[in-house]
Amino acid sequence: MDPPSPGCTGAEAVLSLQPNSSIPITYHPLFGPHDDLILLEVDQKLLPDVLHQRVTVRGQPDEDAVLCTESKTYAMKSVGTSNSVFLIPPSGQYNTFESPKCSSENYHDPLSVASVIKIATGNMELVEVAPRLDKLRLLLSQNPYRSDEDIEMVDLEEMERTNAGLYRWNDLIEKVQASDYELRIGLRALSAVEINGYWRIVDEKYMGTILRMLLHNSVLNDWSMSLLNQDDVVNMLESDGFPRKLADHCLHIFGNKMTEGAITSRMWKLDERKVCVHFAREILRDGKRKMKKFMEEWVRKVPEGMAASFDILEGEVLIEKLGAETWIRAFSVSSLPYNPAERFSILFKERAKWEWKDLQPFIRDLNVPGLSAEGLLLKYTRRTQPTADAEPVFSAR
Amino acid sequence: MQIRVKCSCGEDCREWAVLELQGVVEVQPQFQDRLHNLHIGLLCRPSSPETYTFTIGYHELTGTKLPLKKPLLVLKKTKRSEDGSDDDACAAGVELEVIGIIRHRILFKTRPMALISKPQPAVKKSAQAPFAPAALEN
Repeated sequence: MDPPSPGCTGAEAVLSLQPNSSIPITYHPLFGPHDDLILLEVDQKLLPDVLHQRVTVRGQPDEDAVLCTESKTYAMKSVGTSNSVFLIPPSGQYNTFESPKCSSENYHDPLSVASVIKIATGNMELVEVAPRLDKLRLLLSQNPYRSDEDIEMVDLEEMERTNAGLYRWNDLIEKVQASDYELRIGLRALSAVEINGYWRIVDEKYMGTILRMLLHNSVLNDWSMSLLNQDDVVNMLESDGFPRKLADHCLHIFGNKMTEGAITSRMWKLDERKVCVHFAREILRDGKRKMKKFMEEWVRKVPEGMAASFDILEGEVLIEKLGAETWIRAFSVSSLPYNPAERFSILFKERAKWEWKDLQPFIRDLNVPGLSAEGLLLKYTRRTQPTADAEPVFSAR
Repeated sequence: MQIRVKCSCGEDCREWAVLELQGVVEVQPQFQDRLHNLHIGLLCRPSSPETYTFTIGYHELTGTKLPLKKPLLVLKKTKRSEDGSDDDACAAGVELEVIGIIRHRILFKTRPMALISKPQPAVKKSAQAPFAPAALEN
C-alpha cells in the first residue's frame, strides 16, 4: 500500500483514493460536536435553487421551520441515524495552524491525513408541504380596510405606530410560511390589495358600495358590463369619491381582464358569478333566510343581464330543511381553514354526514402535496355506502 | 423570521467525504480528553474497484463507496454578532451558509473482522480504538 501523495489531504484524499493506496483517518484538530453544522438532504432538482441562493428558511421561533424556494414550500424534518457518520471536510476548510500537541505515534501530522471534524447524528430532509396560508388570512383580517379610512384620512403614521395589524410584503414573508409565489397566490385568493405599501383585505360592505356605484355608472353611461374600459371606470369612481386604488381593485375582484393576444388590454368584463355571489352573500349576511324569500330578493338584486342561477352558489351556502321549509345560509369555502384536519373538523361539526356532491365544493381547493383527493378522504373521513348503488356518505373518522 | 440560505460556492461546491459505519467507535480511556489529531484508523482501497477497508485497531471493516441518490449539503449556522450594522430582516441574527456538499459515502455495513495476524504495518498498534461490543449489535 502506498501512502497518500503529499499535499493531498482531507476529503479530496478520501474521495480520490487510488486502488492500492491508503490514508490514515484521524480526529480533526477541531473535532467536536459542531452543532452549527447541519446536513440537509436536497433533491437534485432543488440543488440549483440552493446553490444560487434562491431559498430561504422561514418561520417564527415557535413554528417548525420550512424551506421555501421561489415557488414551493418544504417542511424540514430531522432524521436521526444510529450509524456513525464521520464527516471529513476538504483540506483548507477548518484550517488550523496548530501543530499536533503530542507527536507520538498515536498522532499524525495533519498534513498527511484525512481528519474527521464531526460525527453526524442525522440530517434534515425536505418534504414538500402546502403553504401555511391560514396565518396570512388571520393577519390580514386583523385590520381590514374600511370606508372611513379614506374619508376620515386616518393617520397612517398613527396606525403604524400602534402597529394595528398592518403588514408590508416584507413583514408577511417574515411571518407566513409560504414561498413568494404561494404568498402572492394566497393574497390574490383573499382578494387582498396593496394600499400605501400595506397588504390589506377590503371590508366586504365597502367593496359592495363601490360595486353598486360601478353598476350605477355603467347604466348611466350606457357601458356594457362585458366591455368596461378600465380608465373610464376608475376615473368615474374617483370622481364619486373613491380612491383610485380601490376603484381599480373593484374591477380585479368582480371582473376579468380581457386578453387580446399579447397586448395588455384595458378592457374588463364583469364576472357574472362573482357579482351574483356577492349579492347573495349580502342578503345572507344577517342570517339564514327561507329559500323562496332569498331567491326573490336575490333575483331582484343582481344587475340586469345577469342570471342568478342557484348552482353558482356552490361552496358559498348551506341548505337546510326544517319541517316543510327550506332554509339557506351563508357558509363560504373561502372562510374555511386550508389545513385539512381543521377543515374537516369544521365541516363535520357543521354536519355529521355529507353527501359527495355537497362536500366536494368545500374541499376541492385543498391541496396537500403527495396526497390525492381520494387520499384526503381516506385520511380524514369515513365513507359509508348502505347499498352498492346508493350515494356514498362521508362522516368524521 | 426569514433566513436566506447563503452560498458563495455557486456550482463548484467543495465536496466533503463521509465514512459511515454501524455502531460507534470508542476511544480508549487514556485518549478520551486528547482526541484532536488522534489516529482513528487506516482507510485502504485494495485493488478491486470501489471496495474499501477501514482498519481500526485490530478490527477491519469492509465497505463500498456509494453515490447518494440525493446529495447532502453541509450548512453552517452562524449567529451574527450584535454590533453588525446589517439591517437585514433576519432579526434573530442567524445565518445559514452552504459550505460543502456530500455526493458519496463510503459505507461499512459489515461486522468488523478481527485481525488475528499482524495488522497492516501502517496501523499503529497502540492507537487502537476498538468498537464497544455493545455497539456492534446493529
